[in-house]
Amino acid sequence: GVAPLGAVPLQKEHQQQFQMMESAYYHMPHPSDSERTRTYLPRNPIHTPPYYIQQPLPHSDTLEFYQRLATETLFFVFYYMEGTKAQYLAAKALKKQSWRFHTKYMMWFQRHEEPKIINEEYEQGTYIYFDYEKWGQRKKEGFTFEYKYLEDRDLN
Amino acid sequence: ERAAAGPTVHIHNGILQARSLNYDDPPGLMEKTDFLLKDWINIYHSASGRDSTKAFSMFVHQMNVHGILKTDDLITRFFRLSTQLCVEVVCRNLAETVTPTVIRAKCYYTLDAFVRLIALLVKHSGDSNNTTTKIHLLNKVLGIVAGCLLQDHETRMTEFQQLPYHRIFIMLFLELCAPEPVLEAINFQVLTAYCHTYHILRPSKAAGFCYAWLELISHRVFIGRMLAVTPQQKGWAMYAQLLIDLFKYLAPFLRNAELAKPVTMLYKGTLRVLLVLLHDFPEFLCDYHYGFCDVIPPNCIQMRNLILSAFPRNMRLPDPFTPNLKVDMLQEISYAPRVLTNFAALITPSQFKKDLDSYLKARAPVTFLSELRSNLQVSNEPGMRYNIPLMNALVMYVGTQAIAYIRSKGLTPNMSTIAHSAHMDIFQNLTVDLDTEGRYLFLNAVANQLRYPNSHTHYFSCTLLYLFAEANTEAIQEQITRVLLERLIVNRPHPWGLLITFIELIKNPTYKFWNHEFVHCAPEIEKLFESVARSCMVQKTG
Repeated sequence: GVAPLGAVPLQKEHQQQFQMMESAYYHMPHPSDSERTRTYLPRNPIHTPPYYIQQPLPHSDTLEFYQRLATETLFFVFYYMEGTKAQYLAAKALKKQSWRFHTKYMMWFQRHEEPKIINEEYEQGTYIYFDYEKWGQRKKEGFTFEYKYLEDRDLN
Repeated sequence: ERAAAGPTVHIHNGILQARSLNYDDPPGLMEKTDFLLKDWINIYHSASGRDSTKAFSMFVHQMNVHGILKTDDLITRFFRLSTQLCVEVVCRNLAETVTPTVIRAKCYYTLDAFVRLIALLVKHSGDSNNTTTKIHLLNKVLGIVAGCLLQDHETRMTEFQQLPYHRIFIMLFLELCAPEPVLEAINFQVLTAYCHTYHILRPSKAAGFCYAWLELISHRVFIGRMLAVTPQQKGWAMYAQLLIDLFKYLAPFLRNAELAKPVTMLYKGTLRVLLVLLHDFPEFLCDYHYGFCDVIPPNCIQMRNLILSAFPRNMRLPDPFTPNLKVDMLQEISYAPRVLTNFAALITPSQFKKDLDSYLKARAPVTFLSELRSNLQVSNEPGMRYNIPLMNALVMYVGTQAIAYIRSKGLTPNMSTIAHSAHMDIFQNLTVDLDTEGRYLFLNAVANQLRYPNSHTHYFSCTLLYLFAEANTEAIQEQITRVLLERLIVNRPHPWGLLITFIELIKNPTYKFWNHEFVHCAPEIEKLFESVARSCMVQKTG
């Protein structure tokens, strides 16, 4: 049997506890309650059909996985998932693809060609950059990338 | 609660202040707090406010101007009023009928700002090297939040909301675990403060908070800090206490086996936590198995199996199904497992312990044996007749004493050396003299020691088989079989020692297992034994 010692009626104390627990059951903690606020992509749990994928692919939290994502996906992760491991991995993957972050414009730049000028303080030439407002890649000629705005922390 | 001393005194002071019905706040303090809190929330969410120390120092200056930081008492009141204001905001938001994500975002907006304020005040209180001031303040704040929670729980009753307290506790914890030297220096005291607070808010004290509470104690960062990051396993005992709080709360609901939805939910969560611990921290479950099994009701077989299946990660267990496996030859069975519960101290009253020790020494007087039952029995109510913790302690103590006694004679425990001793007298007497209920509890106490290869597992495995062989009635043998079998027919995991013992029982012809009537008492039972036997003896034909 499942209750080998027999059933014992709940004491009054336990009945009261059960009542409180039951009401708590109807407003359970939400997964987001113990996470940093997600401004753009809040959690919105919903029942999806079981034949849809229910869990992310295995190893989708590795740098190797992020390196296989499209550049635009990486930009999306970078701008819309602030302060997460995903953002960190996206930044790493972008750096590996020779994108450099400009801390003043808050945008990512990539050399379009060998810069015309390189010195101690800056380099100048034609760059491709990602405009997060227009949401697309743009080309800029004769742009001066001052090194003091280069985000060059070692991401490890 | 006991009279508080040591670091917890500040938590308890906080609780007392938050719970005293007669607040008697100075006039205008509520308005000041409300004004300051709103101001801070705006600063926190402004473009530069979030990480700027400048904004914070300006705000502290503001607090000073309003006289909040003048006395300890005023600071306490400020935190209490702020907590209550935040909770009110949350409850107002939750009552609205907008999309849940919007509601929650609004709640977090207020709570996160408050949490950051607490974290900054803790971090910057006193000199940077003065850890005492910081910890005092943290303890006090945790006490105030806990006190507000208990008060709120009592007054709102079924309208109580877990959310604000849940978020305050977890977010503050994460803030205090940030990788900064000032915080790293106080991390262990932060953990201690949190454990005390969570213990005070255990489900039996605040049942309406139980789900959030389970989330808090099973949060990956919390488990990580308690069991992995803190050196020398200094957090283990405190974490074990929280699990015991959980098991104790669940016990009366689980023992009747009629699980209502709210209980099922909490139970499932508990199993998940145990699975995580079994996978990541098996040594922790090993060390505290005794204390856990003491509070888990006897019918929670799978829950107990999860704990009893844990074994040290550096150990390789021989496959129990190996034909002719010689357990006696295993090196591990000469080592005792670590048991971090002082079970000898649980044998009370002290006169009983004295009598027990003198019986173990002199094997006399025989009256000790005849009085054993009355020492263990506490009532005549069916299902509640026995003092289970005392039974467990007695079994464990006599067993460990027996091992020591056999060793002292230069022998090792085995089927013949365990027999004919004061220790075995006690076990045989319990087997024969107790009623069905008592014997069931006794045999469970023995079976709780059948774990990974170690000296206890080996000794108690031999003991159980010996009791089976020497039984004077079939009823005893049936009950031994029942205790073993019911632990095997549940889903995995199964403790190694349990499998070993059961396989020995059905394989070794000396036990004449298949000749017993209870094996053939019903066709479904017979089928069950056959299927178990098939899986156990699969390699026998080879």
